[in-house]
Amino acid sequence: MTIVVVMEQVPDVVEELVIAPSGTDLDRDAVSYVINEYDDHALEEALLLAEATGDEVVAVGIDTTGELDQALYTALAKGARRAIKVTGDFEGAWLSTRAAAQLLVPVIKELDPRLVLTGVQAPDDLDGQLAPTLSALLGWPHASVVISSEIADGVVRARKELWAGITMTLELELPAVLGVQAARQAPRYVPISRVRQVMREASIETREVEPVGDLAPSLMRLRFPAETSQAEMLTGNASEIADRLIELLRARGLL
Amino acid sequence: MLTTSERIAFVLIALASLLLTAHGVSRIVRAIARGQGRPTWGLFFRRVIPVSLDILLQRPIFRTRPLVSALHAGVFFAFVFYGLVNILDLAEGFTGFSTLHRGGIAALYNLIADLLSVAALVGMVGLLVRRFGLRPFRFNERVFLLPSVRFGISRDSAIVGGFILLHVGSRWVGQAVRIAESERADWSQPTASLVAALFHGWSEAALTTASHVTWWLALGLILAFLPYFPYSKHIHLFMAPLNLILREERPLGQLEPPTSSNGALGAERLEQLRWYQLLDGYACIMCNRCQDVCPAHGTGRALSPAALEINKRYYLNRNLGAFAGGATSPPLLEIATTKEAVWSCTTCAACVRICPVGNRPMLDLIDIRRALVNQGDPLDPNLQAALESLARYGNSFGKPARQRARWTKELPFPIKDARKEPVEYLWFVGDFASFDPRMQENTKIVAQLFHAAELDFGILYEDERNTGNDVRRVGEEGLFEMLVEQNLAALEKAQFRAIVTTDPHSYNALRNEYPAYGFQVPVYHYTELLADLLERGRLRVQQPLTAAVTYHDPCYLGRYNRITAAPRRILHALGLELREMPRHGENTYCCGAGGGRIWMDSGGQERPSEQRIREAVALGEDLRYFVVACPKDMAMYSDAVKTTGYEAQLTVIDVARLVAMAVGINGLERESISVTTEAP
Amino acid sequence: MSQRITVLVEHLEGQPTDVTFELLGLARRIAKTNGAAVEALLFGETVRHLAQTLPADRVVMVEHPLLRYLAPEATAITLTTLLRTDPPWLVLIPNTSLGMDVAAWVAATLDWPLIAYCEALEQHDGQLVATAQLFGGKILADVKLEDRPTVISALAGTFATDALPPAPPGTIEHRDPPAELAALRTRSVVLERPEAADVDITRAEKIVAVGRGIESKDNLELAEQVAEALGAVLAASRPLVDAGWLPRSRQVGKSGLKVKPKLYFALGISGAPEHLEGMKDAELIIAVNKDPKAPIFSVADYGVVADLFEVAEALLERLEG
Repeated sequence: MTIVVVMEQVPDVVEELVIAPSGTDLDRDAVSYVINEYDDHALEEALLLAEATGDEVVAVGIDTTGELDQALYTALAKGARRAIKVTGDFEGAWLSTRAAAQLLVPVIKELDPRLVLTGVQAPDDLDGQLAPTLSALLGWPHASVVISSEIADGVVRARKELWAGITMTLELELPAVLGVQAARQAPRYVPISRVRQVMREASIETREVEPVGDLAPSLMRLRFPAETSQAEMLTGNASEIADRLIELLRARGLL
Repeated sequence: MLTTSERIAFVLIALASLLLTAHGVSRIVRAIARGQGRPTWGLFFRRVIPVSLDILLQRPIFRTRPLVSALHAGVFFAFVFYGLVNILDLAEGFTGFSTLHRGGIAALYNLIADLLSVAALVGMVGLLVRRFGLRPFRFNERVFLLPSVRFGISRDSAIVGGFILLHVGSRWVGQAVRIAESERADWSQPTASLVAALFHGWSEAALTTASHVTWWLALGLILAFLPYFPYSKHIHLFMAPLNLILREERPLGQLEPPTSSNGALGAERLEQLRWYQLLDGYACIMCNRCQDVCPAHGTGRALSPAALEINKRYYLNRNLGAFAGGATSPPLLEIATTKEAVWSCTTCAACVRICPVGNRPMLDLIDIRRALVNQGDPLDPNLQAALESLARYGNSFGKPARQRARWTKELPFPIKDARKEPVEYLWFVGDFASFDPRMQENTKIVAQLFHAAELDFGILYEDERNTGNDVRRVGEEGLFEMLVEQNLAALEKAQFRAIVTTDPHSYNALRNEYPAYGFQVPVYHYTELLADLLERGRLRVQQPLTAAVTYHDPCYLGRYNRITAAPRRILHALGLELREMPRHGENTYCCGAGGGRIWMDSGGQERPSEQRIREAVALGEDLRYFVVACPKDMAMYSDAVKTTGYEAQLTVIDVARLVAMAVGINGLERESISVTTEAP
Repeated sequence: MSQRITVLVEHLEGQPTDVTFELLGLARRIAKTNGAAVEALLFGETVRHLAQTLPADRVVMVEHPLLRYLAPEATAITLTTLLRTDPPWLVLIPNTSLGMDVAAWVAATLDWPLIAYCEALEQHDGQLVATAQLFGGKILADVKLEDRPTVISALAGTFATDALPPAPPGTIEHRDPPAELAALRTRSVVLERPEAADVDITRAEKIVAVGRGIESKDNLELAEQVAEALGAVLAASRPLVDAGWLPRSRQVGKSGLKVKPKLYFALGISGAPEHLEGMKDAELIIAVNKDPKAPIFSVADYGVVADLFEVAEALLERLEG
């Protein structure tokens, strides 16, 4: 049986982000893309599930950047059996979560999986998260913020994290959709030589789609947070700073 | 002379013994042949004479432990000479030919044999007393040993030692008996003649019997021992020279690409090691010199390079027939070592350098890492993060490549972009020097020195990548290759005469690893350049420094690439008093950061760098500076001097900073200058 | 569509969470400017007692055993049913673990727009504008609210609760649970609370918190020493807890614990929104970080851009010496 993992490329926030002159998008030329870190966890969780059940993991992504291949090859190198790239004319468009979900639904239905996993959120979600959106469009039960899962007796048992160490474990009938916060274990390392081997030997399937009408909220502008640095910055060498800190703490009766 | 029946018995026993021995040897040869690759036999003819000379002079063994080495030399020289002695004794037994009481060359022969017998006996007794009385060979309790090894090492040593004592002793006593039979002392055999006094008053029949018994004990014992010989550590007699002779000509700092069997990279099992790595097991004499110099073992970690080799041999000995016949071995991590040990290696190569028989246990550890990485075995999380960052950004700091040259912005002058204009020296800065905020200060100082010396230099800016030296030693060969490709692409864009690097690890990769990818350019370490600039007057010392300092040789500079003089020339030129730590130059002690260890957690254990600081502190309370010439050392020792509590007494400093103080580079804090000149 | 702002009440087995009152406060502030009504939707097994405490013009209550834990499917279906029959103008749902399960589901099902990670909702030139956090808070997106039903998933710990005097008690209405609850595909829901922690960081007066900047587990010792010398307890941001270096009970942030100590001393914490949510109400925040652009400095009272190890050691020397 099949487990689908939906993976998205997102701008790498380690790099400096630049807002495009239009004011409503990032300067995509200055952006470099990485796989959404939560999607990487979703892939790991899917691989762990598949190792236990013998399911086949299929990695699916929408190629909005033209660079998705690398991420899909990495998924294959890690243990996904198939990789599918949804292509279309996405040039210059910021694909909303809703639109992405609409494009993905037919691909997922074609694969007929018993489980769909994706990251709990992506840094560029403006209109909500992909997992619950897919769940709504597919009509399958769902849970997000999942930190571990297990398939048994025709259900998936998903443990989601609330706060303060409180968790909620849900038994969902299959097929189901999970938004993964963290895999049971850290995403595995895949040696570069394996990725390169996969790039030579494996292939990525493509599905050409027509972009759908978008119901994204009307974005006025993007901006950087105001420098609300209310903090008084202490300068000097380490000992001077330490002296200042001691002074501060004494003054407030904290020492 | 032997009786006829004795002669027949000897010949029959000799035949049986030789057959059994040949069987054992052939199995070992077949076992070793299961290793990957084949020796270059051409080396044999080129090396056999020089290596034999080295061995005859016992050079490899005298690198450390002079007293023990002298004892060994006694046994060794006797062994070599006993080759002749045994032949002549055999001739005497069968034909009655004797050198007794002869003059000329026979007398010389007798004298040498007599003295060497004593040397061997003294040496052997000394070695046995050491092994069994002083028990110097201990492994820390985390080291993995096969059950058969624990008892086996002592038994093997006892058998081999006992054999030598009996063999040499019987021959020596036998000579005394024959001297007693002749009823006069043989001046060419002084010690045996002394012993002959013991037999004064024995009957002729008793002496004849004694003569036969000692002959059999001396020569017959060889026949008894011979079949055991291939399985004993004594086989190092042949395997060690072979190992030294057939060692391929490859710089210490260059690794072979991993072996590949059915798509599996590296060595998970014995048969995936190279042939010489299997030979290593048989060459090992269990002297534990490698363990003594190993920084991992020295700080209580599970790694003992000696135990690795010993385990390999003991596993093979116990399963030789099956393995030689093609059976799959269990994983090396079940029979030779542990994962903890494998990951604690710093690839400092101290074990490789010290080994008297030419073993390279470090290579096994790297090959096991290669297998683990390629199997997707879970990695230390920090290591994984570093590798992922290296793959993505070309540095281990998780910083965008664009930020690599950010430090240059704080300089009062621009640094040439070697991709855009030709330069004489391309400065390959390295990750730590570029990204670590603590190192950037030094990097700026090096730039200022180069600038002050009017050196024509430039950098690759954001196109420089980590050279991959330690990535390769972590076992991530694919990532290493990728980094090499990226660097070569960047280097291709630049025009330069030579490379200068700040980082010994980069130095090693560019110098030793990159030529295999077609990159042949002179590479210098910045200490070499600074030494030259000082000596040629392009940098002038304005204010000689007067402090007492010690210098730490980085493994990848001092041991791997034998650059030990240049940094010392600098210290000398600055007027500093250099005090050497006991372990220096090629014998330097690792800081613990190499081989990717800098990216892994130390597990809360003592670090080699902390031991090293104590070693420096022992040089005197007035020792002011612990001088380093490697950005990783700067990081490691700045930490260690704090954790050991010697921060107030000893300052860790980069050699470039000292140069800057002495030549007076603008912008360097006055404070640090005044501190030095105050020192007595 | 009526001029109504609807808030989904979040509670855990009958205990309302702070965000509920934050969102009701927000709704009432907006309502005050445009005369809209504020409605609270209260789902649960037996939650009657809560209805009286909610500052809203109208509380709509649905009680059913399957709504006990506000698990995704039951909550989403109930919410959708109510919204569909009588669409409000705005639906405010907490952007918490429970809220994230339903907000996007409801919006997609009703085909209404959704604005997630909302950190501000303010009038600009007579227009209501929502500000959403993108890229981990590095970029903000301003979105104009249109005159149509819109779902807003609002960050917890961002909006004030006490801006308005207590509301007069509103009307309380009961609704029948939707029939679909009979056919849920969620078989069971189990809530687990962690075992009693070694220390309760929510009660600590002084906290030394460490983040990714600490680099390796070895270095925790230094932080522990500083904490001890200050008489503080040690806490951490999410990555360290995920790495297993410290127990969950020490995690500060949205997915961890919310703390309000007298002193919050942050070492090597950059200040992801997830973390800031859990500590920004501390009385005195001192942050040490290498990166001068670290968001933690936006909530700190005092900031130090330096190597945390050097500062920690210097501090330790003085505290112990």
